[in-house]
Amino acid sequence: MTALAWGRRKRALAQTWAEYRRDREGMTGLLVLGGFVAVALLAPLLADDAQLSAVNTTGNEVWAPPGEHPPLGTDSLGRPIYDQLVYGSQVSLLVGIAATLIAIVIGTVVGVSAGFFGGWVDAVLNRLSEWFLVIPFIPLAIVLAAILGPSLRNIIFVIGVTSWPVTARLIRAQVLTIKQRLYVERSRALGASSLHVMGRHVLPNVAPLVIANATLTVPVAILSETVLSFLGLSDPLRVSWGSMLEDAFSAGALGREAWWWYLPPGLCVIAVVLAFTLVGRALEAILDPRLRAGRAG
Amino acid sequence: MRSIVPAAAALAAVLALALAAGATAQSPDQKVVLTVGLTQDLDSPNVTVGELVSSFELWNLQYPTLTDLAADDLSTAPGLAESWSSDDSGRVWTYTLREGLEWSDGTPITAEEVAYTINRSREEEWLNHYSTVQNLTAEATDERTLVVTSSVDDPKLPGLSVYIVPKHVYEEIEASEIGKYAALDGVSAGPFSLKEWKKGQFWRMEANDSYWRGRVAIDEVVFRVFRNADAMVAALRSGELDAAHNVPAAAFPSLETAEGIEAVEGEQGGFDYLVLNSYAGQPPRDETKFDAPHPVLLDLRVRQAIAHAIDKETLVERVLSGLGTPGTTISPSPSPAWMPELSEEETYEFDLEQANQILDDAGYTDTNGNGVREHEGKDIVLRYAIRTESEYSKPYAEFITGWLKDIGIDTTFSSYDDGQLIEVAGKGAFDAYVWGWTPFVDPDPMLSYMKCDQISVDASDFSNFWNDTGLCDPEYDALYAEQNTELDPDRREEIVHEMLTRWYTNAAYVVLATSPDLQAYRTDRFSGWVRQPAEIGPVLFSNSSPSYWSLEPLASSGDGDGGLSTAAIAAIAIAGAGALALVGWVVLRRRSVEERE
Amino acid sequence: MSVRFVVGKVLGAFATLAFVLVFNFFLFRVVESNPVATLYRGRNLTDAQRDELTRQFGLDGSKLEQFVRYVEQTLQLNLGRSYATNRPVIEEIWAAAPQTIALVGVATVISMVIGILMGISAGWRRGTTQDRVLTSTSMATWSTPDFWLGMILLTVFAVQLGLFPTGGIEDPTSGATGFAKLLDQAWHMALPCLTLAIAYVGEFALVMRSSILDVMREDYLTLARAKGLRDAQVRDRHAVRNALLPSTALIAINFGFVLSGAIAVETVFSWPGLGLLTTEALRGPDLPMLQGLFLVFSASVIFFNLVADLLYPLLDPRVRYS
Repeated sequence: MTALAWGRRKRALAQTWAEYRRDREGMTGLLVLGGFVAVALLAPLLADDAQLSAVNTTGNEVWAPPGEHPPLGTDSLGRPIYDQLVYGSQVSLLVGIAATLIAIVIGTVVGVSAGFFGGWVDAVLNRLSEWFLVIPFIPLAIVLAAILGPSLRNIIFVIGVTSWPVTARLIRAQVLTIKQRLYVERSRALGASSLHVMGRHVLPNVAPLVIANATLTVPVAILSETVLSFLGLSDPLRVSWGSMLEDAFSAGALGREAWWWYLPPGLCVIAVVLAFTLVGRALEAILDPRLRAGRAG
Repeated sequence: MRSIVPAAAALAAVLALALAAGATAQSPDQKVVLTVGLTQDLDSPNVTVGELVSSFELWNLQYPTLTDLAADDLSTAPGLAESWSSDDSGRVWTYTLREGLEWSDGTPITAEEVAYTINRSREEEWLNHYSTVQNLTAEATDERTLVVTSSVDDPKLPGLSVYIVPKHVYEEIEASEIGKYAALDGVSAGPFSLKEWKKGQFWRMEANDSYWRGRVAIDEVVFRVFRNADAMVAALRSGELDAAHNVPAAAFPSLETAEGIEAVEGEQGGFDYLVLNSYAGQPPRDETKFDAPHPVLLDLRVRQAIAHAIDKETLVERVLSGLGTPGTTISPSPSPAWMPELSEEETYEFDLEQANQILDDAGYTDTNGNGVREHEGKDIVLRYAIRTESEYSKPYAEFITGWLKDIGIDTTFSSYDDGQLIEVAGKGAFDAYVWGWTPFVDPDPMLSYMKCDQISVDASDFSNFWNDTGLCDPEYDALYAEQNTELDPDRREEIVHEMLTRWYTNAAYVVLATSPDLQAYRTDRFSGWVRQPAEIGPVLFSNSSPSYWSLEPLASSGDGDGGLSTAAIAAIAIAGAGALALVGWVVLRRRSVEERE
Repeated sequence: MSVRFVVGKVLGAFATLAFVLVFNFFLFRVVESNPVATLYRGRNLTDAQRDELTRQFGLDGSKLEQFVRYVEQTLQLNLGRSYATNRPVIEEIWAAAPQTIALVGVATVISMVIGILMGISAGWRRGTTQDRVLTSTSMATWSTPDFWLGMILLTVFAVQLGLFPTGGIEDPTSGATGFAKLLDQAWHMALPCLTLAIAYVGEFALVMRSSILDVMREDYLTLARAKGLRDAQVRDRHAVRNALLPSTALIAINFGFVLSGAIAVETVFSWPGLGLLTTEALRGPDLPMLQGLFLVFSASVIFFNLVADLLYPLLDPRVRYS
């Protein structure tokens, strides 16, 4: 059984990849994303984190355009934009992925439980996810930052805790479909425990959908991080694209036409968000049976 | 579909109309309005409560003073009083008021009114009056004669430039309630009276017909508060503003070269300082209501190490864009003569190695190797407050906390606007922040602010204090009392020098830089801008703000400005482009439909 | 629509509102075990200090007593007083709300109309260059941080070109009243409104496009074509009409969220609405104000969700009795 199942899954995976490769937009997104992930991981090799602190950059010209301080110029305190941009990618990706993981875990637990157990469990969990859906998360993040103090951890927590209901609903619907099928299969008839059924059959089957959905949660998380940092709610000691924009805004980069300071972080946010969205849509198109049917038709 | 397109077109048209109309509807009203931009809102129009520079400007325009400050050299000049004389002791001064003085609501200003402010502010120790009037008693002998008696020899007399408030308004307010008074009554005897204050947006003042210098040439002055200094500079360039205060250093060079704009680097002794919370239990506070500083800051060696860790040259160059000079002691007056020359061994030179050595010797070591020194087994982490109303606050913080890190001291941040930071400072709920002072002409008020009795101890009003260090130095207080009654100018200067050197050594204040007021005004709207003091001072927000009653509108300038009609054109252009795009879209759509069929 | 359906939905909304009240209460009191310690983090307090502060914040008595008191006050629209201005929070919110509603209302209407048009033409010509251009534009605007876009529009149109005001809601010097004042405000609103409209248009377009794609799979379209209707007629009479349904629901739900979505944009343009109120309250932090704002933002989402729920069956006969 196990070997057979694994073989089947491996084949399915290979087939999915083959299909994905044909999706031009999806491949573009994946490529861009790979680039940013590489930059974030290799940041210590690509940039110098000592240059992020103004006390170490007193030798640099301030407000230097890219031509004078390659590759991207410096800010009002002489810190190179390039180093900030490279290290900023770490925060954006970290927040995006960590928050999404939280959302996936909560969403999966809630969705699977609701779908699998049904009855009052389903009703209660449904109500719960409906409640969390109406919490406006930017104000929630602001409130939490005001109470707990600004930190990266809070931002991740808030985005994670408010993004799970969508995942939960999707998964619940999938579990319900799979459950129908499972009833006629033998494992249930042989008296396998609920946990066993869930682990063996339900989770692997909903996993692709969870992944596709998660890929679409990441960009929302990244955009939120940018807004919250801009409002001064992120960790003041860590440079992120949002905090770069906040610095540029308050230091007068707009009036001074220091485009090399405020354009790159914004463009990076757009690129990463767009890349995640493209990948997510491509995955969804392949993995979501509803959309597949549409494609065939 | 076809039903949606016309709807969209109509919507676009309505929008365009609104834009165009909005742009042209700026009806050229006949009033002469001076619009001043600034980045700091009022904290309170109440003269017994407010302490920000913006509020002082409001009072300069609304409240008269017995004696004024000369525009050119800040010497004592006639105000409400047209003349004065003293008896032989030099402690009793008799002032004669001008004839026919009136408040803007028609109530006459008599000697009794002036005596009321002096006596009440002394009894109730009003924040902005007390240091001047603490030893004075005033008595009105007739309508126009005021006799002021000082209990000590007072070098400041006959200068007496505290704000005089309308008695008929203030006598209605109990002493216990006065701190809560909103002070929007608008009763004025200065050139303007307050008509409207929209917190965070603007405050508006109208000319006072009964101003004793005669009604000014401006009908209305509007102070617009900007959250973004760049927007303020843009508004000045476009003509939305006539003048701007607190121009960011980053934008200053471009304004210096801009046509039709005069940029002013105004010196009046203002300086920026790093304060270290050094409250050590004196005078006693109700501990349940107040907060305490980090214990290491009570150790003089730690404060000295911090003073050694700050490179003021770099701060001036990097944070202030070179507009300023590195600081030493506090500057108590626009006149630099009051500041002492520090000897080399007295000076805390920038030297990170020495700073580290001091901390090592004092026994604050980093035993767990995380780069942060420990005190009683816990990492030393200071609470650093950032001012949201100053664009220099974050860059200062960036450097200062960077150097603190180099000497093994960590920091956490919180941000406050100025009104809130006063409360936080009053509660003692901070370890360090950077702020600034602008001194008065006589050094006495600035010196008095650092006394023990100026430490916040009033739990019912956390803004009732001046000494934000919380440091109480009885010897400094003794010197203060001495200079306060010293009539020999040379001897007084000597005492002041000693006080300032003492205060410098205490290292609760690390003066970072003298900071000029960066201002700019349009030359095409008004003439008669006055720098106070002459040639070096600012044109607005100075000690007595003489510009406002000297300004004359330039005949050629209408109130409207060129940007408006351009805006109308732009709005029409945008709308036109939108309409064209829609038409094009419809045409293309038709064609493609035909192709399909 | 049956009365039972409406009552059920309204009751559901009230249940959600009750949840938000509970959540709001605990958020500000039980986020960490001791609320006073939370508010005075990192400071050394004696037991006496703690008791005093606890009383001051109305945190004495049991959790249940506190909660009952909180609910009572909230039901009387008493949201406490602002630490910063000492005025009732509800008054400050009422004063700021119209500006935000006007700004996001106009922006949403504009982006909705344009977004829906974009979505229809993209979806109907799926896979063509037109679709690709429209869809990638939509995705790009959706991916753009709105405040960043605002900064750039501000730089270009207000700072560089000087065509629009640099911020605020009106020119305090104009002294305009009545209609002229309204026009002045419209002029000040142009840039923030344009910013939000661009930021929202992508989402509307993408939703409309996918609704159109869903509808195109339905049999009745094939039927309509078979009847010999022209392409445009099929689209306008059948596809668009049916595809608008899910979009309407989404738009209604969106309305609730946009109130809080304009926080950063209002800050950039110094637009004196709920967003600016939030960022100002944050600087204190002014906790009663933040708590009040959070309640209002949540309530607006719930309200528009209810509107969506009630509108949906009105528009779509198929779910009328469900």
